[in-house]
Amino acid sequence: MTETQLRPSETAAPPAMGRGASFLPAIWDRATGIAGRRGFIIAFLVIGAVLPLLDRNEGDIDAGANALSYAILALGLNIVVGFAGLLDLGYAAFFAIGAYAYGIFSSYQVQPEWWGFWEPFQWLGLVQHIAVPGGPGTVHFTVSFWLMLPISAIITAFFGVMFGAPTLRLKGDYLAIVTLGFGEIVPIVARNVPYLTNGAAGLNGVASPTFFGYSFGVQSMPFYYLGLALAAFLIFVSLRLKNSRIGRAWLAIREDEIAAEAMGVNRVKLKLLAFGIGAGFAGTTGTFYVAKLQTAAPEMFTFPVSVMLIVMIVLGGMGSVAGVVLGALILQLLQSVLLQDLTQWIHAFGNLTGIEFFQQLDLVQSIELIFGIILVVMMRFRRQGLIPERAAVTALTHAQQTAVPSRIGVKGGLVPLHRRTLDPKKPLLEIRGLSKSFGGIKAVRDFNLDVMPGSIVGIIGPNGSGKTTFFNLITGLTQPDGGKVLLMGEDVTGLLPHVIVERGIARTFQNLRLFANMTLLENVLVGTHSRTTTGAIGAVLRTPRVRREEIAANERVMDTLRIFGNRLMPRVQHLARTLSYANRRRLEIARALVSEPVLLLLDEPTAGMNPTETLELTDQIRHLRDRGVTVLMIEHKLAVVNQIADKVIVLDHGEKIAEGTPKEVHSNKEVLRAYLGRSTDAVAEAAAAS
Amino acid sequence: MESWEILLQQVINGLSLGAMYALLALGFTMVYGIIELINFAHFNIFMVGSFIAMWLMQLMGFTGQTHILYGLPLIGLLVLVLCMTMLGTGVLGALIERYALRALRGVSGTAPMITTIGLSYILFNVILLTTGADTKNYSNPMPNIRWEFGDAVLRLREVMLWGLSIVLMIGLHYFVRRTKMGKAMQATAQDQEAARMVGVDVDRVVIITFFIGSALAGAAGVIFGLYYNYTSFIIGYTAGLRAFTAAVLGGIGNIPGAMLGGVLIGLIESLGGQYLAVRWTDVIIFSILVLVLVFRPTGLLGRAAPTKS
Repeated sequence: MTETQLRPSETAAPPAMGRGASFLPAIWDRATGIAGRRGFIIAFLVIGAVLPLLDRNEGDIDAGANALSYAILALGLNIVVGFAGLLDLGYAAFFAIGAYAYGIFSSYQVQPEWWGFWEPFQWLGLVQHIAVPGGPGTVHFTVSFWLMLPISAIITAFFGVMFGAPTLRLKGDYLAIVTLGFGEIVPIVARNVPYLTNGAAGLNGVASPTFFGYSFGVQSMPFYYLGLALAAFLIFVSLRLKNSRIGRAWLAIREDEIAAEAMGVNRVKLKLLAFGIGAGFAGTTGTFYVAKLQTAAPEMFTFPVSVMLIVMIVLGGMGSVAGVVLGALILQLLQSVLLQDLTQWIHAFGNLTGIEFFQQLDLVQSIELIFGIILVVMMRFRRQGLIPERAAVTALTHAQQTAVPSRIGVKGGLVPLHRRTLDPKKPLLEIRGLSKSFGGIKAVRDFNLDVMPGSIVGIIGPNGSGKTTFFNLITGLTQPDGGKVLLMGEDVTGLLPHVIVERGIARTFQNLRLFANMTLLENVLVGTHSRTTTGAIGAVLRTPRVRREEIAANERVMDTLRIFGNRLMPRVQHLARTLSYANRRRLEIARALVSEPVLLLLDEPTAGMNPTETLELTDQIRHLRDRGVTVLMIEHKLAVVNQIADKVIVLDHGEKIAEGTPKEVHSNKEVLRAYLGRSTDAVAEAAAAS
Repeated sequence: MESWEILLQQVINGLSLGAMYALLALGFTMVYGIIELINFAHFNIFMVGSFIAMWLMQLMGFTGQTHILYGLPLIGLLVLVLCMTMLGTGVLGALIERYALRALRGVSGTAPMITTIGLSYILFNVILLTTGADTKNYSNPMPNIRWEFGDAVLRLREVMLWGLSIVLMIGLHYFVRRTKMGKAMQATAQDQEAARMVGVDVDRVVIITFFIGSALAGAAGVIFGLYYNYTSFIIGYTAGLRAFTAAVLGGIGNIPGAMLGGVLIGLIESLGGQYLAVRWTDVIIFSILVLVLVFRPTGLLGRAAPTKS
């Protein structure tokens, strides 16, 4: 990996948030503030609960139950697409798998011959023995609907993980195409295995659920309320997950995979988790849907269903739970009410004016065209959706913006920055013969280095001399061709980046890789990922232990941000991309620090800072060292290096050409030649003169 | 039919399909090579191409199976239809780039891909709503010249489709390797920033890439119609997915790779259909896609792995 390849998508324009320039969006932004969202979700559930009492029309309730199943699907897909940023175009296939799973296990479709094997299952009530005169009889599956809800989730999650896994190491686009293919073949398979699915004709006779002896039958009301309960559950799960360690890691992956990994997030595991959870919810919904319709046919689960779900999410706002609910609501109303009414009005208009075009026009048929238009228009003009993932934040006051930088915080915080005891006599980091080539270019060759604990080591060298590659080799972003990296005597060569963070090495990036659309607080909280343990289930249940961990992580983050005085503190709720360049550098350092590193790698920490800011940061780095963090820094500003480095390494063409105290290095011939390109004589004179 | 005759016949069929998939795969691979975007609109640009050619042929009086022209005049008119179709889909692709995708260039994440899905859906539904859902018969203007090898048949139109495909691919190869614009394309694919710095008009390169890719998709649409003798609003989805698999198989971003991948997928489709089962063709091709991604994500001829880093 070269320096250029590591560059983040910093040129990428962030999605435009509510611009506030015009009046209407400003009002909408305010209405969709945090309180507004909560109100909307509660209103949705309450109105949903009382609606059937007001409208007793069976057809309407039935339509409502169907609409709810799509809303649930959209919420599930939002975890995959909105949170983790993985475009899944075959979501309907998982829906199908869940549907067929329940269909097969509760109908007469599959009837194997009866033998002793089935007896325990009969005892459990999962199968029935159907006696056939003159034979052993057959098996009739009667697995309970309630049991199948979680089982379907497990089965589909398994499929999700299986088909997601091949693509997760590749660029995200590949997941889109593989899921598209998966979505295409699942209905084909359903059509081609008639003994399981009854083929194109569709599976019939799916058992209706019973609830303590009360059969749902063909009524819509119980399904409606069950759907509403599932929707409420999914909203709850989504919100809990999003504001947790897991959710933050997903958002981090969505924003910048490499940076997420370098901050300790196991991206493969978390992507699979998102994909599995998303698929699982689709499976459960499939079971619900097929129990309601009591039939399953391949056409019910094709590409247009997946696209409709994407449209709901895009319209409402990717990653925004309230937004997705709104998107699903709008699309369902559009399809079942609005378009029909509009068509009638247009026909009436056509009859009135005698224009044939208006008499014939049928808007209901053009729903998919409308879907396409919604996708393109939203992406072009309001990428954040109707209710953006982030509520608008109030800007800083003039006083806050122009406040004199306080530096009292430098020593702030008494908590140690890491919890390890180090032997001061043994080197913390040992590099032995580290090498890396890119094609014919030897970026780093046969590099050796010892870093003692509690020191600050500066790495200087002309551009392209292999400094950043060296950092990438230590942090696992690039695999070395040869050589060893030992941390506290342990071999960490070639470990995955997130494992190296766990071992105690954290870094910043030369060209800044912040999670642009996450708040300052969230950015730094991602840094605590490797030192916290909350899993998906813990995040949803929010047990006391999880709560304590969350509070401790927050305290640690605030404590760390305090190092930079009032530079970052007033802005913790702001999005990272709204920060000034210098503050972004500070934020990256804070994000790295909360992972409790014993060794901190800073890649040009003062780049882009003015002299005052540079001085301030130099001071802060020295204090970090005093609090027990060993620092290895790449820096072009020699003034900074001279002031704080205990040792300076000079790299040129991938080789260490000098090592020593700043003074020693400055008088080194090789160094002067590398920097100034003088002839040897001139160099000798200069060296003699100095 | 003897077994070798069946094999020969299926190879002939496979090469014809392969010629079509290769042209379609080129569009995917070129756009991906330049701006790293999977262009789902490409699926249905292909479909629109087959409709444009059908309308043009109807305008010229070709209907059904009647042969109203022979020899050079026929070839001349067919070339005219082909060129106008390619121009039509090329302009369509360029318009899509200019007015829907350019504003999103450089936006990270899923937004550009979702836009192309929306565009694809719009094309699909516009054709569906304006022409109806029924399958459209294509005219068959080619004279019924055929060569028989035992029971295997090679028809003139197949030879012409192969020829067309080869001419277009040689033309593309020449364009990319030898012309100034082609070199600018290669430079942009390597490093957009560096290309811009040495004076390459990146916007122009991208729009021309879309134009060429879409024009080739139009040609593939013509081949589809002439080969199968029908077209329908629905053809883009399956063919597009197969052509994309071809592009991945050959190595995404790699132009010769797309040609090779296209021919291989065509052969796999016809031979797999013969020796396994037609109804499992899509499953076989999907499995190839997944297996390639797992074991050789760079494809057969690709250079760099398509990882994010």
